[in-house]
Amino acid sequence: MASNKKVLLKVIILGDSSVGKTSLMNQYVNRKFSNQYKATIGADFLTKEVTIDDRTVTMQIWDTAGQERFQSLGVAFYRGADCCVLVFDVTAPNTFKSLDSWRDEFLIQAAPREPDNFPFVLLGNKVDLEPRAISAKRAQQWCQAKNNMPYFETSAKEGLNVEQAFLAIAKNALAQQNQSVDLYNEFPDQIKLTNTQKSNGGGDSCAC
Amino acid sequence: MISVFSLGGFNISMSGDEKDYKEKLIVAVKKEVKQVMEESVTRKFVHEESGSVTSLCGAVENCLSQGLRRRALGLFKTSSTTALLHKVAKHCSEANRISKKVQEIENSDPNRRSSSSSDSVSKPTLKKNLSFPSSPLPRFLWIRLALFDKQLAKIIDYLVSNASKYYDKDALVADPDYGSILSSLLVGPCALDYSRTKSVEQFWTDPPADELVKMHRISSGHSTPPSVRRPILNFGRSLNTSSDDPLLSRNNSQHIAKDYVESLHQNSRAALLFGKNNVLVMPAKDDVTEPMPGYLSLHQTPSGLTIKWTPNQLMNGFTEESQDKSIYWDYALQVRLDEIVYVHCHQDSEAGGTIILVGQDGVQRPPIHFPKGGHMLAFLSCLETGLLPRGRLDPPLWSQRAGANSTTKRRRPLPALSETEEATKDYVFRIIDNSDHKDIFKRKDLMNVKASLPTKVRVQLCSTSTSSESSSKSFSIDQQSVPDSPPSVYIQAVCDSMKKQIISRAFYGWLAYCRHLSTVRTHLSGLVNGKIINGDGASEGITVEKWAELCTDGVVTDYAEVYRYTYFGGIANELRTQIWPYLLGHYKFGSTEEQRKALDEETKQAYENTMSEWLAVEAIVRQRDKEDQAHAIAKLSSESTSGDHAPNELHRDLSNEVFEDVITDDEDSESDHDTPNRKNKKTRENTIRYESEEEVDKGETNKDCDQQQNNVQRNDTGALNSSKILSVEEEEEATCNNNCDNLEPDPREELHDFIHNVIVTNASVDISNIETEGHVRNHLDAVTEENNSSLDTCIETHGLASPARSACVSPASSNGGIYTQELLKTFGLNLHRIEKDVQRCDRNYWYFANENLDKLRNVMCTYVWEHLDIGYMQGMCDLVAPLLVTFDDESLTYACFCHLMERMIENFPNGNAMDCHFANMRSLIQILDAEMYEQMHAHGDYTHFYFCYRWFLLDFKRELVYPDVFTTWEIIWAAQHVASSHFVLFLALALLETYRDIILSNGMDFTDIIKFFNEMAERHDAVAVLKLSRELVLQLQLLIENK
Ligand SMILES: Nc1nc2c(ncn2[C@@H]2O[C@H](COP(=O)(O)OP(=O)(O)O)[C@@H](O)[C@H]2O)c(=O)[nH]1
Ligand SMILES: [Mg+2]
Repeated sequence: MASNKKVLLKVIILGDSSVGKTSLMNQYVNRKFSNQYKATIGADFLTKEVTIDDRTVTMQIWDTAGQERFQSLGVAFYRGADCCVLVFDVTAPNTFKSLDSWRDEFLIQAAPREPDNFPFVLLGNKVDLEPRAISAKRAQQWCQAKNNMPYFETSAKEGLNVEQAFLAIAKNALAQQNQSVDLYNEFPDQIKLTNTQKSNGGGDSCAC
Repeated sequence: MISVFSLGGFNISMSGDEKDYKEKLIVAVKKEVKQVMEESVTRKFVHEESGSVTSLCGAVENCLSQGLRRRALGLFKTSSTTALLHKVAKHCSEANRISKKVQEIENSDPNRRSSSSSDSVSKPTLKKNLSFPSSPLPRFLWIRLALFDKQLAKIIDYLVSNASKYYDKDALVADPDYGSILSSLLVGPCALDYSRTKSVEQFWTDPPADELVKMHRISSGHSTPPSVRRPILNFGRSLNTSSDDPLLSRNNSQHIAKDYVESLHQNSRAALLFGKNNVLVMPAKDDVTEPMPGYLSLHQTPSGLTIKWTPNQLMNGFTEESQDKSIYWDYALQVRLDEIVYVHCHQDSEAGGTIILVGQDGVQRPPIHFPKGGHMLAFLSCLETGLLPRGRLDPPLWSQRAGANSTTKRRRPLPALSETEEATKDYVFRIIDNSDHKDIFKRKDLMNVKASLPTKVRVQLCSTSTSSESSSKSFSIDQQSVPDSPPSVYIQAVCDSMKKQIISRAFYGWLAYCRHLSTVRTHLSGLVNGKIINGDGASEGITVEKWAELCTDGVVTDYAEVYRYTYFGGIANELRTQIWPYLLGHYKFGSTEEQRKALDEETKQAYENTMSEWLAVEAIVRQRDKEDQAHAIAKLSSESTSGDHAPNELHRDLSNEVFEDVITDDEDSESDHDTPNRKNKKTRENTIRYESEEEVDKGETNKDCDQQQNNVQRNDTGALNSSKILSVEEEEEATCNNNCDNLEPDPREELHDFIHNVIVTNASVDISNIETEGHVRNHLDAVTEENNSSLDTCIETHGLASPARSACVSPASSNGGIYTQELLKTFGLNLHRIEKDVQRCDRNYWYFANENLDKLRNVMCTYVWEHLDIGYMQGMCDLVAPLLVTFDDESLTYACFCHLMERMIENFPNGNAMDCHFANMRSLIQILDAEMYEQMHAHGDYTHFYFCYRWFLLDFKRELVYPDVFTTWEIIWAAQHVASSHFVLFLALALLETYRDIILSNGMDFTDIIKFFNEMAERHDAVAVLKLSRELVLQLQLLIENK
């Protein structure tokens, strides 16, 4: 039986407006791309179940408004994140330049316990477009300097590399969660409450 | 998912494929069982209201219905199998038990009786029948209860073994195979634990908003009324409900009991600091004669510490005999520590220790007696730790005693409390709140105080009501705290204390009540207008006829009526273009038609002027973008060693997707050369001179450019002087290519060519339109740039309206303007943002599907150009859009948008209106719907109301469909003159109240509510919500009026 531990992974997607955060999230969760998505106001999230090493976990992917002026709202949403996904647009150099500030801002607001080891993943989106302004090499260099952050080149439009990227994100988030000490699983042993263990008994009969 | 199981028709006799049909029924059960079992594997509990449970129950119901001998059993009146259960109850103890439970629940409210016996009832909507105060009963009630009670398999087993009595011969249940399969299938689900408590582990399995609403409609014949129907100052209710105390509302006691016990566990919302069983408490009830053992626990929640004590009878599981335990709930104890001032401890080495908690009101809580073994000390120690950092015990439990060696400080408890020392000791601790400002007497501003005032009120009234029972006992303990005093002093002290208690109780009760009322008046009175204006006859809104009445000879004088009609009924769509400018303050009431015409004209001129200013700047920005991009590309290609970027692919302009007709030139060049020279030159400049004279021939000659390297020049006058130029250009385009071909193949030159072959497209103002119609029309003319211009003289043609020829000469555009780098940078940044958002603005709405985006962009850019200090912020496009759709006129839209923004700008990140809205929401909900507030508070405390952010930022524009946005907006605008200038708050409140039952019954937390409302966007019943909002305003007005 799978463990009862918390298997919810909270993932935050950050990056400049219009780099494709909403599109990536929807491509991953709903396998759809639409150019009718509206600019995100406030925040929204989607959830998706993934299986990692035989463990089913639920990813809760948060998408927030990309304009920096709205960042002050972040604190309500960033808390408790297990992984942060940074996104830039490979055809727009400015979106690459702001990655540093997105990362810093996240670390300040989410205040993770070990900022140095907090998992980030970088996505260079819109690789279906030409011409590129930021090469893969340059992005990788940046990642190397940032604790070897994993880097993926994606296209939300074509669905390119999106699945792989989010799988890596889930893995990193899970690793992060397993590392942090689980404070919430103790209960004083003075008293036995209702029986919480499950019986497997009837499970077999429905195998069809 | 649920509607699949329509119950009608299953007992109609079946033809040849009966076998198949039974097979199908069984397969359905299998599938649902599997689903439920899977759900249980991944998380700790299956939620009782999980969709899969409902589906499973439905599938079972179908099996049980099939071939049921209704007629013979006298069950033909009902379509469900509930009656069968009651029949079987006589012979089967499990069924009897469930049958009783069903009856209990049904009888607990007369309104409910019908709903479980006819499961198929699905009364229309949640908005109707507001007057029936009952929460919905779930479908398939008895099957559910039997499942949760783990009796379902047994009952079905009984049915199968006695099938001949109740079923036709060919019924599924009577079938030797299917019958036993059915009962064995259910063994598994009957072994699971079901829960109503929401924990972090569960929330993502919640059904989507859709399903919630559907479920709600199906399951409830009637909905719980939103607070409208409830008296606001309902102290009767308050007395019974304490903040996070689920004990007292007793319907559905089974669920609640279980929830309650689960709440004693460590969970995500409350940390368990201490837990001990067999702690004795003497409940303050007449029918209890001696102390009872129970489980004592200390919980820490964000709002503070809570001590709970639960009788053992309630702790030992819920699956046992059906003995009625309900009385024990009365004994259970729950004390919030912030109500407690003193902790009296009585230590007895023989018998353990006793603690008595004394509240602010002087009332003592029932004594808590710990068994021997240092448990009291452990408890106090946990308590002390839990109080930090906000509060502390005085004197401290653990004293820092300096030993002989002053450097080694040793922590040790006060001597009185260690059991090893001699016999009997008493001690009194005071709980000190370090945040002194919390003093309730000084507290004036409700908004700044986290603890809710109504909660306090309730708490104090609560204690008032119970104090008479507990006070007599408590004095005996007071005695012990002054053991050395002579008896007279001692009795005197008791009397004093008694007097004080009585006075203070009365005082606190009275004070609380007054404070509550004055809070309502002083704080909330600002939210609504004092004068109540009724809506008599106005519910139709402004119709064409009404408008003809109001607007006599083109003059509207009775503005009060315009506002009143709009507020109560909205405006007919065809009149909006005329009336909105009044509502927004653009047209003045009392103005004549001529005056308004003149104003329109003036507005248009001003708009065009402003536009020509920024269009000029835009052209420069575009040019720079191209250079930047080319630069980046050059850098990239020099960087990349592989040749995977074919030169041909480099030709697309990405910067602007609004204007899709990007023309690329086949002419190509290598782009792997950096351009350090150019870069240096460019960065040297601080300003770019904008020259418009002498440019006409620039396009053709490209050799004299070197001398103007520091200038960016544009031949816009050329373009503007006559449309002739435009046609000349077309020829040029053809010849240009030749020219380019003729250029010497200097690699650097080639790069330049490449750069300039990228073509800028501009939204342009057609001159002829201006001249003929006097009206700005925009086209997405792709105007090609001069192909053979040299790098540093960026000569660009754009179809800017000719200021020189029109009446309004803008100095900037006619004489050439000088723009600082900073201005260019700022505007450029804004421009890009605007374009990105225009691209994504309501593309699914016909108006913006293909056309009109440029109009939106122009209005937006004009606003931002005029308000560069504010700049573009996300959401502004959303606010322009409905205006533009209504007016379909840029300049009028612009003028009205400016008026609209006077109020709306405060909602954006730099203003403070959003925080005010949130604070006001807090107060309103606390006072108008305390129950909802408590739920929000209890489920992770989302009383920050961030989930309303988009609602307020955009005046609900994203929440509603366009026609409803129109109505809602005009009502908001009119509301300030009729009822409330904070009408948006009441809209928000109405939205919450509309889904009140769903929010409460699903115990939604922050993420749930965000998800729910995001999914419900554009699906609300706006008419109902608006009506409710107006009612809520009136409710508050009446409350304030009835002093
Ligand atoms: N060509 C292309 N366009 C994309 C891609 N991802 C997003 N877009 C477009 O980029 C724009 C912004 O996307 P969006 O997801 O709203 O960005 P966000 O602001 O980061 O959420 C939209 O017009 C999308 O259609 C991509 O991978 N390729
Ligand atoms: Mg987005």
